[in-house]
Amino acid sequence: MTENILEIKDLTVSFDGFKALNNLTFSMRPGELRVIIGPNGAGKTTFLDVITGKVKPTIGKVVFKGKTISGLSEHTVSRMGIGRKFQTPRVYLNLTVRENLDLACNQNKNVFSTLFSKAKSTEKNQTVSLLETIGLTEKADIQASWLAHGEKQRLEIGMLVAQSPDLLLVDEPVAGLTDEETENVGNLLLALAESHSLIVIEHDMEFVRQIARQVTVLHQGSVLCEGSMNEVQNDPRVIEVYLGEAPTVTPEQMNLIRLAASMAWADGSFAPEQKAVILTRLSEQFTNDSQHQEQLKEELANYLGSNVPLDQLTAGLTTPEEKEMALRLSYEVIRSNGVNELENIVYQQLLDLLALPAETVQAIAAEIDAQYSQSHQD
Amino acid sequence: MNVVLSRRDKEKKSRTRLFIEAGVIVALMILTMVVLPLVLEDFRLKLVGRFLAMAIVALGIDLIWGYTGLLSLGHGIFFALGGYAFAMYLNLQLPEGEMPEFFMLYGVEKLPIFWEPFRSLPFTLIAMVVIPGIIAGILGYLVFRNRIKGVYFSIITQAALLVFFNFFNGQQKLINGTNGLKTDSSFFFGQRVGEPSTQLIFYEITIVCVLLVYLLCRWLTSGRFGRLLIAIRDDETRVRFTGYDPTWFKVVVFAISGAIAGISGALYTVQSGIITPNFMEVSFSIEMVIAVAVGGRGTLSGAILGTILVNAVRTYLSESFPEIWLFFQGALFLIVVTVLPDGIVGWVKDVLLVQIRRLTGRDHPLTYPAIAEDPVIQSEKEQLTKDEV
Repeated sequence: MTENILEIKDLTVSFDGFKALNNLTFSMRPGELRVIIGPNGAGKTTFLDVITGKVKPTIGKVVFKGKTISGLSEHTVSRMGIGRKFQTPRVYLNLTVRENLDLACNQNKNVFSTLFSKAKSTEKNQTVSLLETIGLTEKADIQASWLAHGEKQRLEIGMLVAQSPDLLLVDEPVAGLTDEETENVGNLLLALAESHSLIVIEHDMEFVRQIARQVTVLHQGSVLCEGSMNEVQNDPRVIEVYLGEAPTVTPEQMNLIRLAASMAWADGSFAPEQKAVILTRLSEQFTNDSQHQEQLKEELANYLGSNVPLDQLTAGLTTPEEKEMALRLSYEVIRSNGVNELENIVYQQLLDLLALPAETVQAIAAEIDAQYSQSHQD
Repeated sequence: MNVVLSRRDKEKKSRTRLFIEAGVIVALMILTMVVLPLVLEDFRLKLVGRFLAMAIVALGIDLIWGYTGLLSLGHGIFFALGGYAFAMYLNLQLPEGEMPEFFMLYGVEKLPIFWEPFRSLPFTLIAMVVIPGIIAGILGYLVFRNRIKGVYFSIITQAALLVFFNFFNGQQKLINGTNGLKTDSSFFFGQRVGEPSTQLIFYEITIVCVLLVYLLCRWLTSGRFGRLLIAIRDDETRVRFTGYDPTWFKVVVFAISGAIAGISGALYTVQSGIITPNFMEVSFSIEMVIAVAVGGRGTLSGAILGTILVNAVRTYLSESFPEIWLFFQGALFLIVVTVLPDGIVGWVKDVLLVQIRRLTGRDHPLTYPAIAEDPVIQSEKEQLTKDEV
């Protein structure tokens, strides 16, 4: 059991009485890729500020690799092995790409060695190989101000790596990028995660799903919950924080909603009939009171929308009853606007995952088919 | 293959550039050291000498402003400190037991203690550089440690300038207050300082100093250190998060800049014949900055060129039309700020040379590498060259 690379206990940062971070406790193992999400004002950026020494904690301390780093200045923290990427690309615009990297590579960063010593050949080689990694070899000798936004973003990440840090802090790396660039940055981060510990702050949920293994949710300066993306998304407290009201459904029911939504999305479109079926069936399922059913429909509509891999969802179904219910609902959803090829494939996947007895499956299918043919005859 | 070739090309290019630069420097040295003393009358030569002394402080300002991005409006302090140090030495070149005359006026009977070391030339020469450097270092440390920058830094340097000005102005008994120290009638190695022959020596020393300070600045700005100064100017936060402590870099540069101003002040004083607290007037320090802006900040040649040009024009205008100089100075600053943000040298580099190349047909348009790499463009290029053959 190796010790944690980052250990924060009961940390409070207050600005004139306003607690930006409140009794925050956080720890991370070496090599981990952690995504931090949270609504605006949750203290995400302050969290990074306090790790990098930009902000001093009011109470508590930050321990990095067994050493207390809170209270040290930014450059000392950076020399100890923490690199930080800002939201907007921050590179030296009047220097060339190579010079930008060279400054970051410099092993000895005090005034006099910077003045008197020349770049070592190891540092020069490092610069060259980094240029290749970030794909800017051809542009090595042009000014950074000429680079495109995405290239500057890559250059800054290259500069971080050049410092050979153990922990990388990345603040909203894909804000304002196109889908293609987002995927590139995501792959770059995943590649970095193989040899570094990473903390990524992000708003874009699709991107979080692409890269996240472990997610921490911050709210009002404290950790609200931690877990896999799926656990976090189904956590009623998280939903409350993001949507402003507490869900009245249980996490198991939430799982069912997402399963239904995924079935509906299987063919790439979410037909209105499918939405109606989900909302009606589920609200009937969850409560008997008709007035409550109406309220539930509205609430549930908020939870539809994300497309989650099936295997993650089915893992949450434990009892045969739940599985049957999931199957019944899913079949009804795809049946509601006519089954097509894609939906059929996903349905087959679902069947494999649920592993229910064949008779049960057929019985359910027959029952729903009967309902539909009846309604068509009417 | 391609990369190797281009690297060799680059080395060749930078070597040619170095040769050109060395050639220009040698030519200018011959012109100023040999030709001008033969052609110009003594009075004019002294003027040129003073302009060149001002060019030294301009180099210092360029270092802190043009490269590091910190606009100092207080270089008069360091300039005057260097001047006072040397003037004190010259004022003490008296027969044994005598004191500079002005002390009698205020009834001072014993030489103030801090004058004593200035009897020695080596001490004076060191103090001329080190005292302004240390004062700049301390001032810089206090300001930069608290992360004060931008316009606040400029205001603080100006406030410091006023403090020094008022202090020197008020201390008759220590430093002859507002009257300042005269140097013309003093003796330097047995020669009267005001004599043309002595002045010629100071003129030649000034030129050597310009060259040495230029080479120092050139060295400081060409390597990693120089690039780091530009990095501090571009994005200080990034510098900090990369693991450098910008405070010490700025303190060192500000101290060097102050020391350079000290040399400049000493040489200026001895060629003006007097130093007074007026050297620490706000407008004088601002004029130094304007000269750098006109020449082109961030280029060493621009700092020198701008200073000589502005001072030459000022002399011409104040001789011919004394009343319009100030208007002209204001207009000059406005023009530079609005039309020539990179100064004369910047304009020559970015506009004039490009135009000349275009006219002479030696135009190598700089393309964005992505375009040159594009396979379509490459195939078109090949097609075109084939057609020509």
